[in-house]
Amino acid sequence: MLQSKSFVRKTKGGKVLKVVREHYLRDDIYCGASFCKACDSSTARLSSTAATILIVDTNVVLNQIDLLENPAIDDVVVLSVVLEEVKNKNLGVYNRVRALCSNSMRKFFVFSNEYHKDTYVKAMAGESPNDRNDRGNGGSAIRVAAQWYQNHLGQGTHVLLITNDKENKRKATEEGIFAETVESYVKSLGLPGLLDLLVHPSSEDVGMEDVEDLRPLKRKVIYTEHKPMSEITSGLHRGIYHQGKLRVNRYNPFEAYVGSESIGDEIIVYGRANMNRAFDGDIVAVELLPQDQRHEKSLSIADEEDEEEEDVHLAPSSADAAPRVTNLVQGSAGDINPLSSRPSGRVVGIIKRNWHSYCGSLEPMPMPAGNGGVAHALFVSKDRRIPKIRIQTRQLGNLLDKRIIVAVDSWDCLSRYPSGHYVRTIGEIGDRDTESEVVLIENDIDARPFSSQVLACLPPLPWSVSSPDLANPIRQDLRHLCVFSVDPPDIADVTNFVHPGTPLDDEAAQRGTSVYLVERRIDMLPKPLTEDICSLRADVERLAFSVIWEMTPEAEIISTRYTKSVIKSCAALSYVEAQARMDDSRLMDQVTTDLRNMNALAKMMRLRRIARGALTLASAEVKFQIDTETHDPLDIGMYQIREANQMVEELMLAANVSVAEKILKHFPLCSLLRRHPSPTKEILEPLLRTAAAVGIDLDVTSSKALADSLDRAVGDDPYFNKLIRILVTRCMTQAVYFCSGDLSPPEFFHYGLAAALYTHFTSPIRRYADVIVHRLLAASLGIYKLPDIFQDRAQLTSISDNLNYRHRNAQMASRASVELHTVIYFRKRPTDTEARIVKIRSNGFIVFVPKYGIEGPVYLMARGEKGGGEWLVDEQQQKVKKIDGSISYGVLQTVRIHMEVVEPQPNRPKLQLTLDQGHVA
Amino acid sequence: MVGLSVGEKHFIQGGIAQDLRSDGRKRLTYRHIQVETGVIPQADGSARVKMGATDVIGSVKAELGKPNPLQPDKGKVSLYVDCSPTAAPMFEGRGGEELSTELSATLQRCLLGGKNGAGAGIDLSSLSIVEGKVCWDLYIDCLVVSSDGNLLDALGAAIKAALSNTGIPKVQVAAAVSSDGQPEVDVSDEEFLQFDTSGVPVIVTLTKVGRHYIVDATSEEESQMSSAVSVSINREGRICGLTKRGGAGLDPSIVLDMISVAKHVSEQLINKLDSEIAAAEACEEESGHG
Amino acid sequence: MEYVSPEGLRLDGRRPMEMRQLRAEIGAVAKADGSAVFEMGNTKVIAAVYGPREVQNRSQQMNDQALVRCEYSMANFSTGDRRRKPKGDRRSTEISLVIRQSMEACILTHLMPRSQIDIFVQVLQADGGTRSACINAATLALADAGIPMRDLVTSCSAGYLNTTPLLDLNYVEDSAGGPDVTVGILSKLDNVTLLQMDAKLPMDTFENVMQLAIEGCKAVANYIREVLQENTKQLEYRRGV
Repeated sequence: MLQSKSFVRKTKGGKVLKVVREHYLRDDIYCGASFCKACDSSTARLSSTAATILIVDTNVVLNQIDLLENPAIDDVVVLSVVLEEVKNKNLGVYNRVRALCSNSMRKFFVFSNEYHKDTYVKAMAGESPNDRNDRGNGGSAIRVAAQWYQNHLGQGTHVLLITNDKENKRKATEEGIFAETVESYVKSLGLPGLLDLLVHPSSEDVGMEDVEDLRPLKRKVIYTEHKPMSEITSGLHRGIYHQGKLRVNRYNPFEAYVGSESIGDEIIVYGRANMNRAFDGDIVAVELLPQDQRHEKSLSIADEEDEEEEDVHLAPSSADAAPRVTNLVQGSAGDINPLSSRPSGRVVGIIKRNWHSYCGSLEPMPMPAGNGGVAHALFVSKDRRIPKIRIQTRQLGNLLDKRIIVAVDSWDCLSRYPSGHYVRTIGEIGDRDTESEVVLIENDIDARPFSSQVLACLPPLPWSVSSPDLANPIRQDLRHLCVFSVDPPDIADVTNFVHPGTPLDDEAAQRGTSVYLVERRIDMLPKPLTEDICSLRADVERLAFSVIWEMTPEAEIISTRYTKSVIKSCAALSYVEAQARMDDSRLMDQVTTDLRNMNALAKMMRLRRIARGALTLASAEVKFQIDTETHDPLDIGMYQIREANQMVEELMLAANVSVAEKILKHFPLCSLLRRHPSPTKEILEPLLRTAAAVGIDLDVTSSKALADSLDRAVGDDPYFNKLIRILVTRCMTQAVYFCSGDLSPPEFFHYGLAAALYTHFTSPIRRYADVIVHRLLAASLGIYKLPDIFQDRAQLTSISDNLNYRHRNAQMASRASVELHTVIYFRKRPTDTEARIVKIRSNGFIVFVPKYGIEGPVYLMARGEKGGGEWLVDEQQQKVKKIDGSISYGVLQTVRIHMEVVEPQPNRPKLQLTLDQGHVA
Repeated sequence: MVGLSVGEKHFIQGGIAQDLRSDGRKRLTYRHIQVETGVIPQADGSARVKMGATDVIGSVKAELGKPNPLQPDKGKVSLYVDCSPTAAPMFEGRGGEELSTELSATLQRCLLGGKNGAGAGIDLSSLSIVEGKVCWDLYIDCLVVSSDGNLLDALGAAIKAALSNTGIPKVQVAAAVSSDGQPEVDVSDEEFLQFDTSGVPVIVTLTKVGRHYIVDATSEEESQMSSAVSVSINREGRICGLTKRGGAGLDPSIVLDMISVAKHVSEQLINKLDSEIAAAEACEEESGHG
Repeated sequence: MEYVSPEGLRLDGRRPMEMRQLRAEIGAVAKADGSAVFEMGNTKVIAAVYGPREVQNRSQQMNDQALVRCEYSMANFSTGDRRRKPKGDRRSTEISLVIRQSMEACILTHLMPRSQIDIFVQVLQADGGTRSACINAATLALADAGIPMRDLVTSCSAGYLNTTPLLDLNYVEDSAGGPDVTVGILSKLDNVTLLQMDAKLPMDTFENVMQLAIEGCKAVANYIREVLQENTKQLEYRRGV
C-alpha cells in the first residue's frame, strides 16, 4: 500500500459551484529514457541511443500530427498536460497521438508531468491574459518539464522543445532551454520530403521565412466571419442559432443538411457561401434564413461556382446510398412543393471541426517556373462532399498523376478554398491497386494484415475437435445427424475461439465486419479461422452453435432449442449445387430429400412472412467475373437469385428471430438487436410521384399495404414490377444495430421483415454483431458468463454505433469497388444497351442500366443551356418533351444508350452515357 | 444539562464575585481564541473559531439570485446555525433546533441589520450585479461542533473571519440581454472579489451572575446566569444590534452600564480577532502555496 | 470518461491501488467522552462519543447489555452545492444504522449493562467514502472514550471503473456510475462486518474489488493503531510516566 508523498489542493472555480479536487504529486513517475540510471526503465520508450529528445507543445501535436506520424520523427516526449489539451480540442488527433504512444515500433513516451512532484505547475492567480494563453499551450508547464528533462538526463542528451509559439520560444530560450520551431527542426533533419507534411503556421506564430502569399493584394473577404464562441453559445441559448452536425449531400456538394434538435427538423443549407467553410461532419451553429431569401438561394446554386458534373455510379440499394432530393427541378417549376417549407439557413460558426485527411488527386496544372521548387496546387478529393484543398508542395511533378492523401489545416474567410498539406502518396491514378486502396482508405477500412498479437490468439494448427470438446457437457454431439451446409460457412462456434478481451476480439470488434470488394475480401477474422477451423466443411468434425426446431409439416415451430454442438457435415453445397440437386428429379439420396423437405418448409414460412407484411424487395446486385491472372473484370451480370438462396435466407431469418427472442428475454437491457425504421413520408414522396406518373398507386401506410400494392404494380413488360421494387428498395433506410436498453420495444420493429424482433446470429465469421449475439445466447443458456462489457451500456452503445459505421462503410466500399471495376470493364468495351429512365431532369434524365446495375445522367443538351432551349420538363407527368412535341421521354420508359469510357482530363477517366438517338423505344 | 452540586455552584459564583473565575480568568477576560480560515475548501469562505472548548465553524457560499423587488440594488444574505449533536447529546435529532433558531435569529439581528438591510455588517449593495435582475445571495452556514458556553460570540467571530476569507468570483455581464430579460452573467474562473469586512461587528455577550457580569462564560458559568446581554459593536464603537436573554429583569441603568463595558471589551476583541484572522490567512496562504 | 490513464494514474494522481491521504486527530470535542476527526483526502468527518452513561429513555434500557445509539448528520456546507438538508432523511437514517451496527459488532456491550453509549458523527466535508470515514472516526472516538472493544472496526471502499479495480473512490469516481463496494472489517479477527454494494458486478470481479477494499481496511487499521499508540504515548508523557 503506497501513500502519496505530498499533495496540493487544486481549486478550480467552475461557474458558481466551487469544485475542489485533490491532486497527488508523486516521485515514482519516470522519464522514459532507457539509458537513464535513476529511473525505473521497465516502461521506458525512448531509445537507448537518443541524442536528442523532443518535447512538443499542444499546437505542434494538434497541427503537425501527420509529421509526428512520420517515422523520421522519434524520441518524442508527450506531456500529459499537452495530451489533456489535445483531447479537449480534437479527439481525433488525441486518438492518433495516443496510438503513437502505444505503438511499440515508435518511440513516443507519455510523461505525466502534472503528477510529478518536480514538474507540477500550479495555476497561478493573477496571471496576465498573455500568460494564460501561453498556459493554454502547455506553456510554462512545458518549459518546466523541458528544464527538468535537461537537468535529469544531463548534458549528454539534447532536450529540444518544439514550439511554433513565438512567446513560448522566447521564454524558453531565456530560461536556458533549447527550443526550435517545427520547420527549423525538420529542415535540420535534411529530409526535404518531410517539409511537405508541415502545416503552415498562422500569422501569430513564428513565420516561415520562405512562405509568401500567393495573392497578397487581391485578397478579399469571400466568406462571412465566424461568430465568436461566446456569441454562439448565447445565440444557441436564446434560440436564434441552432446546433447540429452538417451533412453534405453526397451527390450535390453545394447542398447540406443540419439535423437540429432545437427545431426538430433538418435545416437545409444551400451553397458554399451559406455553408461558410463548414465541412461534412462538422458540428455547426446555423442561423435560419428569412422565408423570402430561401427560394432565391435554391435557384442560385448553379451560378455560384463551376458546377460539378454528376458521375455515372452504381445504382443505390438503399436510401442511405441514394442521392438526396435536389431542388433543381422543383425550383424551376416554381410551384409549391413540400420541400420549400423546410427551413433553410446559413452557418454562423463552427463548434467542432471534423477535419481529417482525404484521398484524391491534384487538379491538373502546368509546372510553375521558378519559385524555389515550391508550387501551390489544388487538391480534389475523391469524396465529392469535400471542397478543393489548396496545398504547397516541392514535388509537384511527382504528384500530378498520383492519388495522394491530404489533410486540412485551416480555412480563413479570405480564401475560397481551405488550405492543407500533403500527407502521403498512394499510387498512380487509375491503377487498380491504387484505386482499391483509395476505396479502403475513404471508407476507413483497416486492411492491414493481422498483427502477431492477434494471430497469437489462434489455436495451434492443424486444429481438430479434441476429446475435451466432446466431453464438454455444454456441447451436444450431433455427429450422428445428417448435417449439411449450403453456401455460407455459417453458425460455426466462433466464440469458442474468439474470447472477450483478447487482441483477436478487439481487432474483430474494431473491424466489425468482413469487407467484400470485387477482387478481394478483407476478413474480420484471420484466415485459419475463416477458412479452416470455423468453416463447416464436408466430412470434417467442427464445433457449431445450433438452433434446433421441431416443426409440423405446416412449418409451425413446436419447440426451439439452442445448443453448442459438434457436427460432421456430410456435404458443403453451394447455392448452385443445392439448386441443381433439388431440380434433378433423379436424385433421391438423403441430402437431396432433406433439401427438398426443407425447401418446402421454407416456402411455407416465406408465404407466412409475406402475409404478415414483409416486403419482397429487389436490388440490382451485379456480379463480376474476374480474370484470375490480371484481376481485371471479364464480364458483369446481374446476380441470379435461386430458390436455394431463398430457402437459406428463410431459415436464417427464422434462426435470427428465434435467437433475438431468446436473448432479449434474458437480457432485456443489454441485447444487441437489429431494427429497421419505417421509411418516412418525405423519403417516399418522390417515389410516389414517379409511380403516380406511370399510373400506379402505391399505398405506403404500412409495410403490408405496400407489399400488396407492389404485388399489384404490373406493367407492360416483365421487368416493370422488378423495377418498381428496386425503386422502393432504394427508398428504405438501412437496418441498424442497437442496444435494447437504449430504445423502447415498439422501436425494435424491423419494417422490411415485418418482424417485431430481429438480430444477427448466422454469420459470426464475417460479422462481429453475430459474435456478440453468440455470447449473449451462450450466457442466456447459462453455459458462459456474460463478459463485463455488457454491464456497461454506454460501451455497448458505442459498439453498436461502431458496427453500424463499419457496416455502412463496408457497403460503401463494396459499391465503390464495383463502380471502379465497372469503369475498368468498359474502358476497353464501349457498349450499347437498354436502360430505364428513373428521373427527369431539366437538361436530361437519369437512367438505370439494369444489366450492369449502374445509373447515371444522360444529357439531352450541351451543358450550360439547361432549362431553356428546345426541351420542356413536365413535372406532373414526369416527362421531358421537345418543344415541337416530336420527341418525349417519360419516367420508367426504356431507352437505348451508349456507354463509353472517356477521358476529358488526363488521368481522369470516367464512364459516359449517351442516348443512342436512333433507338428510342 | 450541566449538573452541578451546591458546592460547585457556590464556588463558581464566589469566584466571579472575587474576580477570579474557576479557570483562573478575570471577569472581563476572554479564553484563548484560535482562528483557522479556509477550513472548508468547497465554500467561498470559511473559518473555524475555538474559544476554549467551544468550537464553531462558519462558512460562506455565494450563489446567483434575484434581488428582492423592494431593494433592487442590494444582494441578499441568509444565515443559518446548526448545532451538531457532537457538541452535546441533547442536540440529537430535533433537540438542537430551538437553540439553533435562537442563535440564527440573534446573529441575523446583530450582523445583518434591520429588514431593509441598513446597518448590515457588510455592504449589501456590493452584492448587486445587475440592478433588479441579478445579485449574489450569500448563504452563511454555521455549525457548532463543540459547545462550552458563549456560542454567540464565537459564532459572530467565525462569521467575521469567514467573511474576510471569502472571495466571490468576479462577474461580467454580457452586453446582450436575452429575450426573457435575464442578463447573461459570465463568472470568472480566476479573479475574486474580497469583501470589506472592516465594518463587520463583533458580538460581546455579558453574562450576569449574581451582581457581576462576565464575558465569555463557560457552560458551567452560563448555568448560573440570571440574564445575559449580547451587544454587537463595530470598529467605530457603534452598536449594531442588541439582545437580552434570560428570565430575570434588569434595571435599565445596568443595561446601559453593561453596554458601555461591552463597548470597552469590544475594542480589545476586535483587535485580537483581526490579528488572529490575519495570522490564520497568512498561515493558509503558506500551506496553500507551499 | 477516462478514470485511469494509460499511464496508470487516476484523475487525482493516485494509482489504482492507492488510498487517499489519511489524517486523524483524537480529542477534537473537548466536552465529549471521546472524539476524533478522521480525514480521507477531502472527506472529513468528526465523531463524538458520549457514554457509557445512564439510559435517557428508560424504556430502551437493556439489562444485559449497553444501548448503542448513533446519529449521522451532514453539515450544510459539506457538499459542493449547498443544500439545507432536513435532519433524519432516509439516507442519514440508513447510514446511522450502518454505523451503529458496525460499532455494536465490536463494542463489548455485555460489560456495560443498563447503560447507553451515543455516537455522533458529523460530516464536515464530503468527497466520497463518507460511510467509511464515519466508521473510522467512530472507532477512534470510541477508543478515545475508553469503551471496551474486541477489535478495531475499520472501513474502506473500492470500485471498478475502466475495467480496473480502484481503491477508495473519491466523489468524482463515485459519481461515475460504477459499482461502489464499501467494506468494514474487524481488523485483527479478519471478519467482515459491513458489506455494501450498489450497481452490478460479475462475481469474480466482485471478489477482486472486495479483496481490494479489505486491503484498504487493513491499511486504515494500521494507521488507526499508530495514531492510538502515538496518542497513548502523549498521554503517558503528560502524566509523566
